Amino acid sequence: MALTQVSSNKCAGGFQKVFEHDSTELKCKMKFAIYLPPKAETDKCPVLYWLSGLTCTEQNFITKAGSQLAAAEHGIIIVAPDTSPRGCNIEGEDESWDFGTGAGFYVNATQDPWKTNYRMYSYVTEELPKLINANFSTDPDRMSISGHSMGGHGALICALKNPGKYKAVSAFAPICNPVQCPWGQKAFTGYLGADRSAWEAYDATVLAASYSGPQLDILIDQGRDDQFLSASQLLPDNLIAVCSEKKIPVVFRLQPGYDHSYFFIYSFINDHIKHHAKYLNA
Amino acid sequence: MAHFLKPWSILSARSSRTEHADQCFQSQNCIRSPECFVQENFGRQEQHLEQHYNDVLQTLSQRYDDRETGLQEEKKSKLESLYKQLVACGQALDTSKELIETAQEVYRCQDERLFLKVAQLGLLRDFFFLEFAKEDIDLSLSTSLEFSTPLADLSDVKTMMDSINVVPAPSAPVINPQLPNSATQTSLHVCWSLFSDDTVEYYELYYRPVLEDTPADSTCVKVKETHCTVTDLLHNAQYELWVTATNTTGISPASEKALYMTVPSPPAIKQRECSSCPEAALIRWESGNTNPVDSYIVELSETGTVGAESNITESIVAVPTCQCLIQLQAGRQYLISVRAVNIGGPSDRSDAITISTTGTFFYLLEDTAHPCLSMSEDGFTIFYGDEELCVAILGDLIPVRGRHYWEVEVDDETEFRVGVAYEDTERDGYLGANGSSWCMRHIRTPSRHKYEFLHNGWSPDLRITVHPVRIGVALDYDRGTLSFFNANLEQHLHTFHCRFHNYVHPCFSLDNPGALTVHNGIQAPDYTFI
Repeated sequence: MALTQVSSNKCAGGFQKVFEHDSTELKCKMKFAIYLPPKAETDKCPVLYWLSGLTCTEQNFITKAGSQLAAAEHGIIIVAPDTSPRGCNIEGEDESWDFGTGAGFYVNATQDPWKTNYRMYSYVTEELPKLINANFSTDPDRMSISGHSMGGHGALICALKNPGKYKAVSAFAPICNPVQCPWGQKAFTGYLGADRSAWEAYDATVLAASYSGPQLDILIDQGRDDQFLSASQLLPDNLIAVCSEKKIPVVFRLQPGYDHSYFFIYSFINDHIKHHAKYLNA
Repeated sequence: MAHFLKPWSILSARSSRTEHADQCFQSQNCIRSPECFVQENFGRQEQHLEQHYNDVLQTLSQRYDDRETGLQEEKKSKLESLYKQLVACGQALDTSKELIETAQEVYRCQDERLFLKVAQLGLLRDFFFLEFAKEDIDLSLSTSLEFSTPLADLSDVKTMMDSINVVPAPSAPVINPQLPNSATQTSLHVCWSLFSDDTVEYYELYYRPVLEDTPADSTCVKVKETHCTVTDLLHNAQYELWVTATNTTGISPASEKALYMTVPSPPAIKQRECSSCPEAALIRWESGNTNPVDSYIVELSETGTVGAESNITESIVAVPTCQCLIQLQAGRQYLISVRAVNIGGPSDRSDAITISTTGTFFYLLEDTAHPCLSMSEDGFTIFYGDEELCVAILGDLIPVRGRHYWEVEVDDETEFRVGVAYEDTERDGYLGANGSSWCMRHIRTPSRHKYEFLHNGWSPDLRITVHPVRIGVALDYDRGTLSFFNANLEQHLHTFHCRFHNYVHPCFSLDNPGALTVHNGIQAPDYTFI
């Protein structure tokens, strides 16, 4: 579990670092970004896991989202892993931008040739937290999860599948109902096979319908001018309907004029970090 | 004058007797023993006697001077008169002498012709006669050589001598100004003293209320002491008082009139018009008096956070109007009461009000309520029975910047708007439809709940999956935020960012038949002001 520091930059009074390690789940070298707020020098801090979307690496969030100031203010460590295993040389992994490299979909693949390496679900929920807790000044009991688009889908399913593990959850333009949208159907077919019942284990809308556990408080921001929203890739209404039915507290905000880009994330990241801080610092 | 010295000798004789009394007096420790009274009474007598005799002596001396001056003047005038007469006689003699000489000359004249001439002028004889006749020399004295001695009028001296034996009527007493804290709502304690050491049998105190138009009738009280407590008076009223002293000889003139005032009635705190927040309380009261008072005193004591009596008392004095904004400490409980003050002193304490500085507390302003809105008895639940109207009411939030938090309890069906508005917001308009109000709005459709967060008629587009039945509203003047929460879930719903340029009032309205209840005096949960 050796970590190699790839880069370190002072930022907002703390440090934005990138590390590399050998992942046991993914069987390859993986990078992740970690922001350490000033408070981490003296105290154990809670951790927010950020899952990025299609085509992203560990770099997009830390260079474009503008999260460091709020993280420093609230004393929160932010960990941003990569979005899929890299350099595994699997055939077809680079064919599409929405499947394979950069499109892990945060599942544990059961189909060949993906099942050996494409275990992003376990990486994010098991291996990475252990690694972070062992190497940094963290409070292992206080973690939360968030993400954008595919990462939003990842955050929602991690929270729904692990009741009580995450103190808070939020998402930007998440893929809410992958079994019903083209992206999800393509990815799940490839990673999980044709059996749709296997898909449901990774669908936030389906998981919400059968969720039982500690009360959640989900914040979702969605750009109204998001092209993928109008392309029916995101389907937030389905999730809202189920959550209304099942009394899962959600505040869903449709933001006029905003699109799917990091400019949208940048605009509302402070609200999300504040939302997480309320529970992480309670 | 010598015989007037007698009284002095009497006095000196008495002075030796005083020495003994003096010693007795000195040896006491200012206790009012009989020796003291003897000394005092003796002193009064002695002074009175001295005074009287002095007066008599002075009067006589004055008369003597007057009389002597009179005689001197008479003498002067007589002498003058006689002198004049003498001068006149002298002149007459001179004139006569001249005439005689002239006649003799004429007689001695040898010239016959001249003599004939003169004889012709037989007038000569007549001339002489005329001349002599002219001067009717009065050889009687012009003035009498005697001096008149008019009867000296010493009747007043006689009266004075007589009155030495008589105790004089007292002089006007001196009435004291009102002493602080000597009055009550219905009574006044009046004191006076003697101007000089008069003998007095009793005093009569007169008093009447000072009224605006016609003077009132006065009441008279007879007392033996130099003080009196008059009762049965009106509160917060001005009275005019004067006193006379009477002894066997007569009644003294009246003292100067003094103005006294009874203390006011205690005020009454208007419970429903009081509000508070963790740092302060605003107390309002009714004066309790028809006429104005000078000021008010607000008194507060802390009853302790765990009910123990700590009795830290603080007084705020010189409050000019019937309200007071008091700075307090958070998380405590206080008992606050008010007194009214005029120059007579402070009234009794009003009934106390309990103020708790946990959270922000306010009542709903009944007179801002739409006529169709009705209110529960405790004043915290509003009901509306009709359709189609937006009926609203404002809350009486204490005008203190900082943070305030309150909760609104609603049900599943009621369509409501809750938020804040400036006091001058359009009362006919809908809450949130203008720039002077901000609110959360709940709309009920058959299939679902809809929510709007309105200001200037605009709302963001939100979905909320769990209908809040207890809404937390957090107002932060300094940060310029108004936030709404599902208080039961501790879930944040929305925050307005706005710089409030003036104080705002909580506002509540019902858009359809239903009810809502306001809960306040709650300590703001931590998550509400991250």
